[in-house]
Amino acid sequence: MKELPEASSVATGVMLRLGRGLSIGYEKKIAEVPEELVLGMGTHFLLARNGRGKTTLLKTVSGLLKRLGGEYEVGGRCCFVADDLAFDRELPARLIFAAFLDKAGRAAAAELADKVELDVKKPFGKLSFGNRKKVGVVVAECGRRHGDVVLYDEPFTGLDTPAREALLARWEETRGEVTRLVSCHPDLDEMAMPSALLISDGKIGRPGDGAASWAELKRLLK
Amino acid sequence: MILFRLTLWTLWARKTWVVVYLAMLAMPFALPHIAPVEELPKLVQPARAQAAWQLAWLLGIFWGLSQAARLGDGNSRTGVGNLLRSQGVGSLSQLLSLWLGLMVYLVPVALMATLICVTAAAPSYDGEKGMWWATNLHFALLYLLAMGPLALLGIGISSRFGAMVGLMVPVALALYGLHGVGYLGDTIRMGGNPILEWAYILSPHYHLADLTPRLLFKMGGLAGDALAEYVMYFLLLGLVMAAAARLLFKTEPLRS
Repeated sequence: MKELPEASSVATGVMLRLGRGLSIGYEKKIAEVPEELVLGMGTHFLLARNGRGKTTLLKTVSGLLKRLGGEYEVGGRCCFVADDLAFDRELPARLIFAAFLDKAGRAAAAELADKVELDVKKPFGKLSFGNRKKVGVVVAECGRRHGDVVLYDEPFTGLDTPAREALLARWEETRGEVTRLVSCHPDLDEMAMPSALLISDGKIGRPGDGAASWAELKRLLK
Repeated sequence: MILFRLTLWTLWARKTWVVVYLAMLAMPFALPHIAPVEELPKLVQPARAQAAWQLAWLLGIFWGLSQAARLGDGNSRTGVGNLLRSQGVGSLSQLLSLWLGLMVYLVPVALMATLICVTAAAPSYDGEKGMWWATNLHFALLYLLAMGPLALLGIGISSRFGAMVGLMVPVALALYGLHGVGYLGDTIRMGGNPILEWAYILSPHYHLADLTPRLLFKMGGLAGDALAEYVMYFLLLGLVMAAAARLLFKTEPLRS
């Protein structure tokens, strides 16, 4: 992995570059990038059917997995939020925020937790599946720095519609501050996909002109 | 720092430290009275000193190492280790953060044993007070030099193999080093066997850190050169354990 110089990448808007020939997988190749992909700040969705390499791509880009070939470049600090990110059962969210966030971050976290209706005093182990998911998302959202590249693995799983809308609204508000690559299986056909990466037939690409909705994109998934 | 703070809060929220500290403070006063001490009241204070330090070993081994195993296992299993690694927090830094967080809760166990001994089990003769302090401070130092690396090893093992293995291995090492090595030594004395002799040499001699007999018989602290040798031994043993812990430490568990 190469790191793009942070100042220049923020200035040029190039935060994540997946080079031509980047190949991902464990022992065996799962997918590769046939044409170079460049992502700027904002939110980009990563779509694929199960087992096609969404998590593998996110882990590779965040440096947790070795690439099998090719190159990629990241322009800021990475933050990989796993699908199953969890914390100690006895820890309430407010103590998790106290560990991860500075004072300003904790204030922002309290506000966001309120918006998504997360009980910050309840021990993590007693939270519902959806509320557990919110804890990791709030940590990532309020602990990020300007220019970070945040990689979310299925953050919407288990979230109810108001929480998902609050999250999407926040992403829209802060689109000029951070790059987000979000793997997901949207359950609303009309969900807009202004920027999407698709993994299909072992190839990672960028389909359409940015105007396609999820209903149109999912027809391309194989 | 994030993981250090998270470890402090995690142990705080688990609340088991309350039981451990209460046991450390109360049991050395209660346990000696299980025996009929009214007949020999002079034995109460040595029994209290013995109870304080034996309890420190017991709680260090079974509570301290179980917390170490849970911390290492939790860091890799929950995804926190990977989250931090993706942010640039390396494996060594994570391992040390988890360990330091645990040591913040383990050091008071040694301090409590020391304080109980010097305040509630000290010899009445003023001339022996200095010797008593020295013995207890040496004991606390060696106790921490023994327990610290075992906790580090527990974190390393559990991060890769899970909490059960991460608990069993250091607990077995601690119990063997405290008690089992003595039996091995007795066997060697009865008849020389080069394999057993090598096993004895390579065994962790944690019994050297147990100064309870020196307290019971008021033998005083270790002589300067002996203390230096013991400290050097435990530092080298600790270095080996730290290296093993670092090699084993993973930010995600083995894939099934």
